[in-house]
Amino acid sequence: MSLNVHETNVRRSCEAAKNFADWYYRQANDGKSIASAYVNGHAAYDKAGHPPADICINGRVVATPQEWEQLLEEQRKAPKQPDPNRRRVRYEVETLIAHVINPDYRFGAPASLLDKYSPTDGVRLMLSVLITGTVYFGTGREKGDEYWEKQTFSDSFILVPNWDLLERAPGKQHGRKYLVISHNYRAE
Amino acid sequence: MAPGKRPRDGAGAGGSHHDPLRAPRGGGISKRRRPVTGDRDGDIEMGSAPRISSDTAGRGGRNLRRANGDGKRGGAQGSLTRLTQNARDHVLSKAERSAAGKGTENKIAIRIRGMKDSKASGNRDGGLRSLLDFIERKASKGRPITLGRAVVRGEDVCLTVSQEDAQNILRLNGYTFAGAPLTIETDDATTTHGSGTSTSGQDGNTSDVKTKMLSMLASRYDADGLLLNLSSLGTDPIMIDLKAVETKALAEKTFKALLFLVSQRFDTKDAKDAAIQAVSLANNGIQDVKEVFNLARDLPRLRRLDLSGNSLQDFSGLSKWRHEFRLLQELHLVGNPLTSLPNYPKQVIDWFPNLQILDGQQVRTPKEAADTLMEWFPRPIPALPSNLRDGGNNVAGAFLGSFFPAYDQDRPGLLKQFYDDESVFSLVAEPEDSSTPYKNFTRNLEKMGARDPATHQRLFSGAPVIAELWSRLPATRHPTLDDANLWKIDCHTFRSLADPTGMGEAMGLTINVRGQFEEPDPASQVPLRRRFHRCFILAPSKPGAPHPFRVLSDQLSIMPGQSLAAPAQVMPAVPTQPAPAPIAPGDAAQPGPVAPDAVRANLIFEVSRRTGMTAEYAELCLSGAANWNLDLALAMFEQKKAELPPEAFLQPS
Repeated sequence: MSLNVHETNVRRSCEAAKNFADWYYRQANDGKSIASAYVNGHAAYDKAGHPPADICINGRVVATPQEWEQLLEEQRKAPKQPDPNRRRVRYEVETLIAHVINPDYRFGAPASLLDKYSPTDGVRLMLSVLITGTVYFGTGREKGDEYWEKQTFSDSFILVPNWDLLERAPGKQHGRKYLVISHNYRAE
Repeated sequence: MAPGKRPRDGAGAGGSHHDPLRAPRGGGISKRRRPVTGDRDGDIEMGSAPRISSDTAGRGGRNLRRANGDGKRGGAQGSLTRLTQNARDHVLSKAERSAAGKGTENKIAIRIRGMKDSKASGNRDGGLRSLLDFIERKASKGRPITLGRAVVRGEDVCLTVSQEDAQNILRLNGYTFAGAPLTIETDDATTTHGSGTSTSGQDGNTSDVKTKMLSMLASRYDADGLLLNLSSLGTDPIMIDLKAVETKALAEKTFKALLFLVSQRFDTKDAKDAAIQAVSLANNGIQDVKEVFNLARDLPRLRRLDLSGNSLQDFSGLSKWRHEFRLLQELHLVGNPLTSLPNYPKQVIDWFPNLQILDGQQVRTPKEAADTLMEWFPRPIPALPSNLRDGGNNVAGAFLGSFFPAYDQDRPGLLKQFYDDESVFSLVAEPEDSSTPYKNFTRNLEKMGARDPATHQRLFSGAPVIAELWSRLPATRHPTLDDANLWKIDCHTFRSLADPTGMGEAMGLTINVRGQFEEPDPASQVPLRRRFHRCFILAPSKPGAPHPFRVLSDQLSIMPGQSLAAPAQVMPAVPTQPAPAPIAPGDAAQPGPVAPDAVRANLIFEVSRRTGMTAEYAELCLSGAANWNLDLALAMFEQKKAELPPEAFLQPS
């Protein structure tokens, strides 16, 4: 049987995808930075010469996560809106699927981690994550708030392990466990 | 509730306090629980039902009313109150109605005369508050009495109070209030209501009023103009017949009841918004839009509104609506005093961001309105066509051009072509209801725990297992890829997949397809149309496979289906048609969607962003004489923007 459906790998992939999505959309909904979720600027990957994350937003390729943040920022702009409850953009995730596409991901990995984690440990995973939901424009913070308009959105991510974090001592591993190398977003 | 804010100031504000469409608030429940003696709130009677049934119902309450009531129904006051009750009945929920019914059964209406002759009549409210304070003070013997809302009818002040309070208040008959003797008596005509009327009689009356109101609404609806004409309600024979607009408070309640009846006619908000895009409230004597505020709540997406010939004195009379009606394009205020104020058109234009025509004059172009709306609301990122970056040899186009026809017609054959024992498939379809054929296969991690066994069971791995699942999924029909408008396909290559030979790493291709398909609806002959997002990860094949690449991961997210209004061609129940000739390995000649030039895509995006136009119009603008020159396109836009139709601009539907 393929290690892509090994029990530990599947469970870890589900946990990782859920954690990632929870964090990502909470940050986006609060207008906070999501750039740290992308592979750009992470030491282990930079050192190994990994290309920047491929980010394609509504058919347009953006060069950096910061540029994507700018688009989100622009999307949120409503300078004349007097009512704070009609000023927000809120993403609500409805569905999430994750697949392991490489249980033995190695790119940029320090040798120590390659020794430490085998392909059945559910750590060195490359994941494909598909998320769909609804994005509300001109709305409040809470689900069910009135909105100005809404769209269906879908996001597709490819995630890889964050070696920088895994190298740290247990207990000091704060931050994103997985990083985005590919992000495809559309809302309509 | 603070004493100074009690809703007792009579007819003018009466209607705005009562909100029939709103469910009873939590406060009401707690009031009912509280002992009577501790309740200082004006709404005491509304919440006192349990107390009444255990305390006074068996004693004097009903007997007294019966003695007063029999054979004395009717009369102007009675009709008015009944109509008020009827209007309330329309809009109260069943539970609330029964609670309200209990409340009124044990109440007594009291009429107080003498306020007009008192010195307090010169007060701003005609002495009402002083009078009520006076009565509260004098009647509170042993336990405090708090009076509810009072209504001024001519020289009389009418009140509804509980039996217990009534005895103490009636004792004050003949007392002197601010130099004038008071006459306090029970108001027979009103008190009779509720006691002598049987339940069935009330229902009959209610439905009669409802029928008349509905017939009036029907005659005032213009289907061509999508216009609901509620102008001059005061002179409408049906309204006069029902005595529905005799007082201001009553007119406000009637208006709410009318809006409620309108809402009941539509299944969804969207249907209502689509059917009613214009409302006329002309010549209704409106002094402040708070009197008709519910219009903004019931029809928030109104396009045209006529308020001409009313009595709006200044901007404060309109200000309650200043955050409402974001889509309002046309407004008429002619004939209102506020139109002569110095700041007149500007203030109104500022308040309604989409307003384009005010009193028949154009005040904004569609482009200016779109600009203003952009400053008021967050705006979606413009969407561009497909973005294909598959390494130059059109692998994605070739794969998809072969995939979807085969998925519709020969799924086993398709699996043999592109799937192997390492391929993984899962699907998700939400909302998950019993009718969806995907229910038992949905693997939605958003709703499942990571340790839910279904996360594993619903992950289909290996071509034979996937074949078994696909044979159970409904037949589908996807449009051809030539119809580029129906597809959004983005793809790019990436590195670091495992090489199938176990040596080193391999390149992968991720393809994200957003499209739609039709599927037979078992409940009807008309197929359903569903939108979907399918994400493929393609990887190099193992040696000996029919193609150089295979599907490593296939994730399918299916949206809820919409029934197609017009029946399309009959669909095959099972995919039994022979497969089209599969593409030969290396044959990359299959037509795929045209890959847009990245430069063009960015230009379209830029034009759309700067002008507020949709991507289609931005493309039209660029592809014409501008010849994909940004500056030229923007210059041409400036020249032609006045001629552009409203749909050229990004605007919510």
